[in-house]
Amino acid sequence: MKKRSILFALPAFLIYTALMVIPMLIVFFFSVTNYNGMTSNFRFVGIKNFIELITDDRFINASKMTFIITLVVVIVVNILGLILAILLDKAKSFTNLFRSIFFIPVLMSSVAISFAWNALLSYTGVINTVISQFGFEPHDFFGVKSNAIACIIIVEIWRNLGFYMVIYLAHLQTVPKDLYEACTIDGGNTWDKFTNVTIPMIVPGITICTLLSVMNGLKLFDTPMILTGGGPGFDTETIVLTVFKRAFGSNEIGYGSAMSLMLFVTIVAISMIQLRISKKAEVEN
Amino acid sequence: MRAKLRLQGILSGAVITILAILFVVPIYITLIGAFKTDEAIIRTPLMLPVPGTLENIKYVLTDPSANILRMYANTIIIVIFALLTTVAVSSMAAFYTSRNKTKAANFLYVYFIFGLMIPYQMAFIGVVQILKKAQLVGTFPGVILVFISGNIMFSVFMYHGFIKSIPQELEEAASIDGAGEFRIFWQIIMPLVKPCTTTTGIFVGLGIWNDFFTPLIVLGGGKKATVTTGIYTSIGMFTSRWGYVFAYVLFASLPIIIAYIFAQKNIISGLTAGAVKG
Repeated sequence: MKKRSILFALPAFLIYTALMVIPMLIVFFFSVTNYNGMTSNFRFVGIKNFIELITDDRFINASKMTFIITLVVVIVVNILGLILAILLDKAKSFTNLFRSIFFIPVLMSSVAISFAWNALLSYTGVINTVISQFGFEPHDFFGVKSNAIACIIIVEIWRNLGFYMVIYLAHLQTVPKDLYEACTIDGGNTWDKFTNVTIPMIVPGITICTLLSVMNGLKLFDTPMILTGGGPGFDTETIVLTVFKRAFGSNEIGYGSAMSLMLFVTIVAISMIQLRISKKAEVEN
Repeated sequence: MRAKLRLQGILSGAVITILAILFVVPIYITLIGAFKTDEAIIRTPLMLPVPGTLENIKYVLTDPSANILRMYANTIIIVIFALLTTVAVSSMAAFYTSRNKTKAANFLYVYFIFGLMIPYQMAFIGVVQILKKAQLVGTFPGVILVFISGNIMFSVFMYHGFIKSIPQELEEAASIDGAGEFRIFWQIIMPLVKPCTTTTGIFVGLGIWNDFFTPLIVLGGGKKATVTTGIYTSIGMFTSRWGYVFAYVLFASLPIIIAYIFAQKNIISGLTAGAVKG
């Protein structure tokens, strides 16, 4: 077989290198400088940015926020997504209709979704007006930190649930029926079937879903940006939102690069650990 | 046994129906809210819009500062150019990496795939520096190039796997008949990888249509706003005009929902591509 010309790979290589690889290297480079985007007169500051990071309350809060939101969303969308997929698999009627209903938010842009929820949750919005008609006090959903976090989490769950449900459903449908029958013959009940057949058979699905949901959580930007704008104060800023505001809003390019790098290292480390754990789980089965 | 299975089916159906109704309420309120007055939206959010109003729709269609038709046009231009180029360059690159067993081909494949690990948003500080140097900030070519670079790794990954599964006999026969490499690629490989082009195209295209971060940073608002950045800046101007908000949300989502109705299977498999075959 004749070899294929390397010219085929050239356009992709050039675009990808210029706008993905080199930008990454630029971020590495800026992270050890005090560049502010304006003057070309910047200097090497070593690890000063990183030392500042670990004592920066705003960054620490953003990291905490990102981890809390990610943790809750990952747990809920995976467990609820799997439960919904099982119910849908069992119900066997109107599968298409139900799947479509849960899938609609996956199709919509996070901007549209966040604005729709904003109209529902705002102080003068739908939910507050309705509950005040019943004589309850209106809640300031976005003005109090814990409420605002809860709102972001709810919207993120609502937005992502259908996606994971569909993936779990696809994996459930690959489980051979005779395995369930064999389990029944061995005297297993519904719970035994779930733990001894379903779960082991869908480990690849669990791996990919947790991996994707963790990655998406750590990169969260759109929903907090539109729903709360990071407020009240800086309370509900996620890491990417903080980087965005500081690197592009207040031109702290060097410092923003250092924050980006921390996020990058975290994401790579977490996905490595996750892949290792799930490899183990797959081998054991 | 069979009776038990049926009971399980009915119970599951009941539970999922209740959950689906809860889930669909926000969509329902949005949809009908686009045709109601602000007062009716907050007082009776679940009531059907009788009598309805077209005032919100009219506003969104005619608002001079944020014309939804212009946002559509901008977004469609960006999606088409970015999508076509992404598909072309990625499938070509995958043709090279999957058909050669050399060290160079292997290295290039890993080089492309490595990008899947990079959170797209974190390279943006660098991306903006490059665009500034090339004077592409605030331009369509700039945002299109960024979208291409952001989608190459996933697309190469998809095409690489797909092309590998195609037997090489056809290409050999064609090359005996005197067809050049480029012709073999466009006339033999591209038709064969159509299913892969559909899934990849849907994933990439929908991702670009819905993307907010990229156009926000590269294009900003104004005349070049896309659907997402456009509604972001225009909704930002009024706080409690929920009718307008819902109308904008409706217009932003409508094209995709319509596409979904016509190509449901393809869209679901496109969006979950890579996650299902695992």
